[in-house]
Amino acid sequence: MKKIYLAASWILFFCASLIFSNTAIAKIYIDIDSPNFQQFPIAICDFNNLSTRAAEPLEIGITLADEIKKYVAMTGIFNILNKKSFLEEKNTGNPAALETIRFSDWAAIGADYLLRGNITPSDKKIIAECRLFDVTRGESLFNKKYDLKIGEQKELSKKIASDILFILTGDEGEFNTKIAFVSKKASKSDIYTISYDGSDINNITNHQTIILSPHWSPDGNFLAFTSFKDGHPKVYIRNLKTGTEKKVASFEGLNLCGFFSPDGKKLLLTLSKDDNEEIYVLEIETAKLKRLTHNYSIDVSPTWSPDGQKIAFVSNRSGSPQIYTMDADGDNVKRITYEGIYNTSPSWSPRGGRIAYEGLINGTYQIFSVDEDGNNLLQLTFDAARNESPSWSPSGRQIVYSSKTASKSRICIMNANGLNIRILNENNDALTMPVWSPRFK
Amino acid sequence: MKKNIILVGMFIVVVFALTIFTGCAEKKAVVTEGTAQEQAAPAQTAATTQEQSAKVAPAATPETAETMVKDIFFDFDKSNIRPDARETLKADADFLLKNGNSKVVIEGHCDERGTAEYNMALGQRRAQETKNYLVNLGIKELRIKTISYGEERPFDPGHNEDAWAKNRRAHFVVTP
Repeated sequence: MKKIYLAASWILFFCASLIFSNTAIAKIYIDIDSPNFQQFPIAICDFNNLSTRAAEPLEIGITLADEIKKYVAMTGIFNILNKKSFLEEKNTGNPAALETIRFSDWAAIGADYLLRGNITPSDKKIIAECRLFDVTRGESLFNKKYDLKIGEQKELSKKIASDILFILTGDEGEFNTKIAFVSKKASKSDIYTISYDGSDINNITNHQTIILSPHWSPDGNFLAFTSFKDGHPKVYIRNLKTGTEKKVASFEGLNLCGFFSPDGKKLLLTLSKDDNEEIYVLEIETAKLKRLTHNYSIDVSPTWSPDGQKIAFVSNRSGSPQIYTMDADGDNVKRITYEGIYNTSPSWSPRGGRIAYEGLINGTYQIFSVDEDGNNLLQLTFDAARNESPSWSPSGRQIVYSSKTASKSRICIMNANGLNIRILNENNDALTMPVWSPRFK
Repeated sequence: MKKNIILVGMFIVVVFALTIFTGCAEKKAVVTEGTAQEQAAPAQTAATTQEQSAKVAPAATPETAETMVKDIFFDFDKSNIRPDARETLKADADFLLKNGNSKVVIEGHCDERGTAEYNMALGQRRAQETKNYLVNLGIKELRIKTISYGEERPFDPGHNEDAWAKNRRAHFVVTP
């Protein structure tokens, strides 16, 4: 009997591994998560304008290519080759030219990938046709046709960059995401959002008071946060479409906002109503509250694992603030950080496995990441600034954080390995607590 | 004889401590209320409103909540009551016991270092520990409320240990 079970489980295991390995091969073309990952050199050519009308401006194909380059560069995994280094003659006008590429010319300048395309503008529309090639293998990776209205070039370039990323990594990227953050002028704070490309800064709240810890709902329609709007720290959920706010936690003492659960139904909180800062989970619809930690010390800053099974949080139960994990019901508490005397602000990667946080080292705060079991600690930032509040992108491949020097306050994005830092926003006011939104459709 | 010397010694320490702390409070009074000096004369009415009680009364005027209930200070990332704070809290408790109808809000504050969210919890812990200490000294729990401002409302806006030491505090707002 036992043998049969054993045999059956072996077969199941074999099938499962076959399925998984297959999808892995089918989806992920390049493994950007390998430790020796290097940026991929890509050549993006100006698009040929196929319009027969002589009056059509040529620039449209150039600006489109430039926009695509801008978005592709934001992913942090590509090295965009300078078009001045291109050897191949500028093909003009003939779509068939896409087929007759001399890959050796592209390999010679170090390109691994090549993007070429044509556009046909008419009165109201632009048809764009574009192809991505693997230069080393000499093969086409995709051939797509896009149809858009005049004036939608930005959306088109985002779409093309996203398609390039998807075919190569199995992930559509973060192009349709935003970052929410707190901006503090003098002693007055409010929440703002900014798009992934650094455009569209929007003021969300107008409380003009202390605001902390914004957190996105998984559908991106709500922001939960702590505000001193009525004089005391209380937790609110704001509907971003209607602009209405609902008070969801107003207990005696401290009410601090934590993360939404992955299903969006629950919210983690830090409350001091039982005389001590403890972590609770609130069922938003029923207002049912459950206490998760029981320790005479500070327990704060809870964050879910992506499957909702575990929670990481900060506790000073060992004498200094350190990162701990526990099961979603509060059992099985484990300390995972041991380096340094001040480790806070945990954020769990959406892909699981890693937890990012900030830690005090050599007199300043830097971003670190560590396996959820406490292994493989990595320091990600090293500059002289005060780097805090890491938050992962939906793909888990980038991290946004706040970076403060004596004169400047910044919101920055870096790759999950700490490379390719991009300044998203910079200000003289204090910009703090950036949190990455889910993807918007 | 020996007892007398000790008593005198303690008296000197207390006076010294008082001058230091009133020195701190003075700064605040100047910032919050420009005309404080002029209104200082009618001392009888001085204690009637909270705003007025915020100013530093000259040595001759009667005790007001703000001068008598003094802030206590904490070490970095700590919420335990320091030995020097115990003395202060004893005096604070005496005043509150004498003014049995007054209510007090304890504000917990932190310096700017560290994480804003963690500091919000730390400030709450400082306020709570202070409350517990006062309750142990006989102040009714119902008279005391706590609130944390974390690192958001520094007393001294400076960026050095001098300023930080003043900012890691429990501050008392007493209403008659």
